[in-house]
Amino acid sequence: MSRYIATRAIRGANALVTEAETMLSQALAEKGPDLPVSFPNTAYYLPVIFGMTGREIETLGQLPDALAHARELLHPVPADQHWTPYLGETLDGGMATLIAAEVIEAVRYVYGLQPELMPGFELAGGTSFTSPDMNGDGEAGSNGHLNGAIDDIQLRSWGIQLVDGRMPGFAAIVGCAKSNEAAVQIVRELQRRNILTFLSGNVNGRSIIDQLVEEGVELGYDTYTVPFGTDTISAIYALGFATRSALTFGGMKGGQAKEILHYNKDRVFAFVLALGEVDDLKYAAAAGAINFGFPVIADTVIPQILPTGITTYEHVVSMPWNEIEGADDLERSERLVQKCIEVRGVKVQVADVPVPVPYGSAFEGEVVRKADMRIEMGGKGSRCFEYLRMAKLEDVTDGQIEIVGPDFSEVPEQGSMDMGIVVEVAGRQMEADFEPVLERQIHYFVNGASGIQHIGQRDITWIRVSQKASDVGFDLESFGKILHARLHSDFGAIVDKVAVTIYTDPEQVDQRLDEARAAYDFRNKRLEDLTDTAVDEFYSCTLCQSFAPNHVCIVSPERLGLCGAYNWLDCKASFNINPTGPNQPIKLGRVSDVDTGYWEGTNDYAKVGSHGVVEEVAMYSIMENPMTACGCFECIVMLIPESNGVMVVSREDTSMTPAGMTFSTLAGIAGGGIQTPGVMGVGKYYLASPKFISADGGFKRIVWMSSVLKDTMAEEFKVVAEREGDLELIDRIADERSVGSVEELVAWLEEHEHPALTMDPIF
Amino acid sequence: MSIEIPVDKWPGTVNTVTLGATEADGGTRAKVVTIGGEQSLPFMHFETEMPHSPVIALEMTPSRTDDWSQILLDAWGDVVEDPARWAAAIEAAGADVIVVTFGLTDPAGDPITPDYAVSTVKAVLEASGLPLVVLGPGQADVDNELIVPVADSTKGERLVLGLCEDGNYRTIVASAMANDHLVVGRTPMDVNLAKQLNILMTDMGLPLDRIVMDPTTGGLGYGIEYGYSVMERLRLAALQGDAMTQLPMLVTPGYEAWRTKEAKVGEGVPETWGDWADRGVHWETLTAVSLVEAGADVVVLRHPESLKRVREAIDELMTAAPA
Amino acid sequence: MALSGIQIYKMLPQTNCKECGFPTCLAFSMKLAAKQVELDDCPYVTEESKEQLAESSAPPIRLVTLAGPDRETAAGNEVVLFRHEKKFFNRPGVFVRVVDTEDTAAITEKVAAASAYTVDYVGIDLNLDGIAVEGASGDPAAFAAAVGAAREATGLPFMLVSDDPAVMEAGWKAVEGEKPLLMGANSSNWEAMVDLAKQAEAPLGVVGETLEELAELTQKIQEAGVEDMVLQPAPTAMGASLAMQTQIRRLALKNFRPLGYPTVAFASDSGDPAKEATLAAHAICKYAGFVVVDSFAPEFVYPILVLRENIYTDPQKPIQVLPAVYEINDPKPSDPVLVTTNFSITYFSVANEVEGSGLPAWLVVTDAEGMSVLTAWAAGKFDAEVIAKAVKEFGVGDKVEKKVIVLPGHTAVLSGELEEELPGWDVKVGPREAVDLPGYLKTVLA
Repeated sequence: MSRYIATRAIRGANALVTEAETMLSQALAEKGPDLPVSFPNTAYYLPVIFGMTGREIETLGQLPDALAHARELLHPVPADQHWTPYLGETLDGGMATLIAAEVIEAVRYVYGLQPELMPGFELAGGTSFTSPDMNGDGEAGSNGHLNGAIDDIQLRSWGIQLVDGRMPGFAAIVGCAKSNEAAVQIVRELQRRNILTFLSGNVNGRSIIDQLVEEGVELGYDTYTVPFGTDTISAIYALGFATRSALTFGGMKGGQAKEILHYNKDRVFAFVLALGEVDDLKYAAAAGAINFGFPVIADTVIPQILPTGITTYEHVVSMPWNEIEGADDLERSERLVQKCIEVRGVKVQVADVPVPVPYGSAFEGEVVRKADMRIEMGGKGSRCFEYLRMAKLEDVTDGQIEIVGPDFSEVPEQGSMDMGIVVEVAGRQMEADFEPVLERQIHYFVNGASGIQHIGQRDITWIRVSQKASDVGFDLESFGKILHARLHSDFGAIVDKVAVTIYTDPEQVDQRLDEARAAYDFRNKRLEDLTDTAVDEFYSCTLCQSFAPNHVCIVSPERLGLCGAYNWLDCKASFNINPTGPNQPIKLGRVSDVDTGYWEGTNDYAKVGSHGVVEEVAMYSIMENPMTACGCFECIVMLIPESNGVMVVSREDTSMTPAGMTFSTLAGIAGGGIQTPGVMGVGKYYLASPKFISADGGFKRIVWMSSVLKDTMAEEFKVVAEREGDLELIDRIADERSVGSVEELVAWLEEHEHPALTMDPIF
Repeated sequence: MSIEIPVDKWPGTVNTVTLGATEADGGTRAKVVTIGGEQSLPFMHFETEMPHSPVIALEMTPSRTDDWSQILLDAWGDVVEDPARWAAAIEAAGADVIVVTFGLTDPAGDPITPDYAVSTVKAVLEASGLPLVVLGPGQADVDNELIVPVADSTKGERLVLGLCEDGNYRTIVASAMANDHLVVGRTPMDVNLAKQLNILMTDMGLPLDRIVMDPTTGGLGYGIEYGYSVMERLRLAALQGDAMTQLPMLVTPGYEAWRTKEAKVGEGVPETWGDWADRGVHWETLTAVSLVEAGADVVVLRHPESLKRVREAIDELMTAAPA
Repeated sequence: MALSGIQIYKMLPQTNCKECGFPTCLAFSMKLAAKQVELDDCPYVTEESKEQLAESSAPPIRLVTLAGPDRETAAGNEVVLFRHEKKFFNRPGVFVRVVDTEDTAAITEKVAAASAYTVDYVGIDLNLDGIAVEGASGDPAAFAAAVGAAREATGLPFMLVSDDPAVMEAGWKAVEGEKPLLMGANSSNWEAMVDLAKQAEAPLGVVGETLEELAELTQKIQEAGVEDMVLQPAPTAMGASLAMQTQIRRLALKNFRPLGYPTVAFASDSGDPAKEATLAAHAICKYAGFVVVDSFAPEFVYPILVLRENIYTDPQKPIQVLPAVYEINDPKPSDPVLVTTNFSITYFSVANEVEGSGLPAWLVVTDAEGMSVLTAWAAGKFDAEVIAKAVKEFGVGDKVEKKVIVLPGHTAVLSGELEEELPGWDVKVGPREAVDLPGYLKTVLA
């Protein structure tokens, strides 16, 4: 905690509590203790005082007690030589400020000074008017004054939207923007994101409310932009709103201060935007907001408080206006709002994919034929690649789409051109390991556009754009728009910002392609280095429990899911995107047998995940406690006792195996979530893993294998053969072309000197 | 010879949930209904006492009976024209709970409006003292549009609001939280999806004693075995101690049975199907009784005769063997 | 602790003689470990191994078969308490009861009707399994006459119900050479009943009020030389019978041999078809091996048989409907063609929604080995080639003139390929969920 901020906040708090005391004694003297006090149309008394202290204030006479509590929260201003942390004292001061501010506004309501009068002003939409007398013309209405406190009806309506996520959060703006233009742009940026905005405060007598009114911006409930008042004190209504949200939607009761504050930190995505110079009172009020977990972003130079704790991320962030990058105030406003959203972790939703062609999964299967084609990228005539990489938050401008090189208007019809799609993604929860997971999605995202066909991935991408799509305006930028929208909507949990650059300039494509290829290589290498001993958690996968209720896959870096579709990285990303979903981390805990593959964590999970059916699971053995299977396995591994080894049957292989059973008969034994030693369903890439039944002797135990596996996995098996030190190894393995029975198998193995014959007995 | 009877001792207990609130508790219901609390599989009285009997709800679909079987319409008569009279008839028929399901449109094809939903629910509350379940048509935006004002205008009644589904639970849960109501979450016949939705709903801060789950079922002949097994599995998981499966279960055998061809259609069907009206009631009754055996805490029916039969079965099941 | 297949394998001859019906000793041992076969099927197993394997060799619930001249029905061999754990193996036989106090013409008529009853459910013929003849008259001659009258009208297996050995004897002699269930022995008549069962070589029903009574009886009866038994827990009220049926199943699965037999439930004594139906449903869900009903009316029997079919479906082998083109709401050549898979639930949801919408359509159901659309697609069993093949095989092109074919939304990715496979067809992508089909038909295709 900055001593500077602590000093100023505590000083501000002291001053405001004193001011409140003065106002209150005067009111008590003039009006007497029995006069009712309340904010209009609320069942929550003075909400902050009620929520934080449980006091149900109904009369002036009850206020001194509340103020006395505020006074107790005040601490002395830190001495110059003191360097202890001041966080507690400052937060207490903030709380005292909020109580004092609420007392002041309550007294002002008594005197008819709230809502604040502003002649000629008209609120857009309904309002929490105090009395019909407010308006000279006698209409119950919205003329001539600002909004003041928010009533319960509006609270309910907005509260539901905040809780159900339609409204991502709210902004409390305090002060005055650098220019009218900037004020308007800031509000527009917030409105565009459906963020509720509260306005209050001033700098040297000039308020953002004045600025917006001068520019003709409509303010009120209808525009989601509510003018509270032109002083800082009126910002208290924002916290009253937040407190009541917790009381209404969190089921909390008055006085449950800790619960209410936690509720707001965890569930109400609000932040304070301090525009212009920050005075003592603003510091004090900001300290109050931090209690609620609402960070403060200032457009002036103030000391930052970056370590997180009370708020989710930073507490106080300074983003001096003239240091913000941007051509003009408009761009600077945009960046400022973007920063606010990042700091509070507000998730922005992109509803539609803004492209000129119909978009949806129904178009995923479309084929664009040569004759209907406007242009193609990749394929025979040109190069095309796609590369998604993680970048730092500050280095990515969300929504930026840049085209480097010419568009395709100059390319003749049915021609082709080079293209590279480089996507930069930033997010607080993003990890480099998720890059390939997200990159694979580009295929589906692009295919969703009607008239666009996408095939392949990485540097073998091949895209066709139909004549029809091109005619209605589908261009290079459209690719960027699709990726921006879909990455936000599908991966919002890990993606905060997305920028896309499309390269068509051949030289640039060359250069970027080299970078991309280096990254592909790096990722391949990373997968090789990612071993079971290099991580401290595996992942569960319960996707298949709908038909195999007691089956659970345990996915490790060296053993992918038996369906072949989920490896460890996929599971990790899936967990981050959907923390309550089918992939949960399994902390390994104490290792009990690293060779057979027993950990405390995996065994515990096996019990839970299988609902008690499986007691223990060996990650690396088919002979004892093998992993169970649902029915989705790519291959079945089965013991052939006579051969001292195992056979591997592929799902695609319908022929008879040496076990005397076909794949489909075997599937009945292997599946169903029941542990059957000697039989196991696996993903085919697991066969090449160094951990493939390593407890039982590993790959060298394979005596028979469907030929289709030998063909499709030839590259991988070559590596395995080298690893095992026997380049002929694959040729020693029988398949359905040469061997149909166990007798034939044994003869074949002897003839080919298969290593399994001389290995230790498998059981 | 003495035989040691195997007794299962489970660590988990199903949550106890009370539907409806009397005046003393902030509502207007003449009676409330409490479900759940099981510590054993259904009706294993020799293990633990079953604290609350499964209950029976009858369903009404105000202004939307066009897809109801003629058998049902004949059984109810013209009360289906008037939600208040229908509700009173349901209470008179002996139901424990009333389920009000709104459709998308009225018979004229006009959308059901929020005002209509609110006034209908109020009329039903006036006409009957039973606890209420209020369900939208199952389309996210319309559900929200109808259920939120109903929730707002009936604060404190502890209505059960729905349907909360994977893509659409936040708004209904929020409005239930704000107005002291309950919710029912529906997931498509899958244990893990049910758990996940329960986690998501409780994550929003709604206490577990205000949620019931509808794991969805199929009608007899139309996938009942899936619903049946999912319910048995959910209940087993609950008893094993998995908190996110310890919710009482509400299922809708009435809806499922009466949309099958067997119950709905009387003409042009094989002779081997027998008498239409009897068949329909059997279809609903057998669907419901099987689901009660699988652990249902609330079965929602449509025909008053089925209610009688299922009631008799439940009463018998609730009676333990003489010691 | 149950032995694994590998442990059992070690005790087998390891000759792969195939005489057990399985290709290898290992395959047989795995089946044995799953309690799906009996050790006796192995002709060469040593006595020593037999002893060691005794515990894990016999199915915990004895398989009991009843046989009539035309048909057999069996109960037992169950291995789980809940169908999702594996499956329920032998559908409980549903027996229709006649009483010997009725006149023989009425008996013949009822039995003939019950025997002839058959109803189609998703391409499966559902039937009743047997006739229970009850000796209420106490007169052996009347009982024999009733049994004889029933036998004239059917070839189904019988269950002979009487606790009077003299009556029973007259009854089984009327169908000598068959395997009826002699129902049944109790603590006072068991010795005479055992003699009858041994003479008749027929299974014996055993009635008891309590588990203890049943267990004592079965042990005595077994010692006296009768192996095949069926238990009848006497209490019929649902709460009490559920408790007893559950306890019998649990004890049997724990290898408590005296209760390791299938059970029979008499729904027939309630005297009210409504009550009888719920009792029958109860018995089917919870563990009965045979169910006796008194009523016989199609609207009563049909739902009971369907419930039995549903509960006894293998949870991992879903019910399939016949691949074909189904006509919904009398479609005309101008109506659209919809495509889905032959997983019964998938078919039902699609067919129900379309039917409910009142709009006509042709529904092509492809052979996807009983998988749902998404699963089948992922497994490569529902692709453009398969769909095109089905369309051609069923001659759909000849039935329609407006060639519009609608794919399930989840398989939009197939649209391009399907266009190639089915030239001249307009391939459209429908909604992902069946529930959105009526809206789609009304708006997009209208």
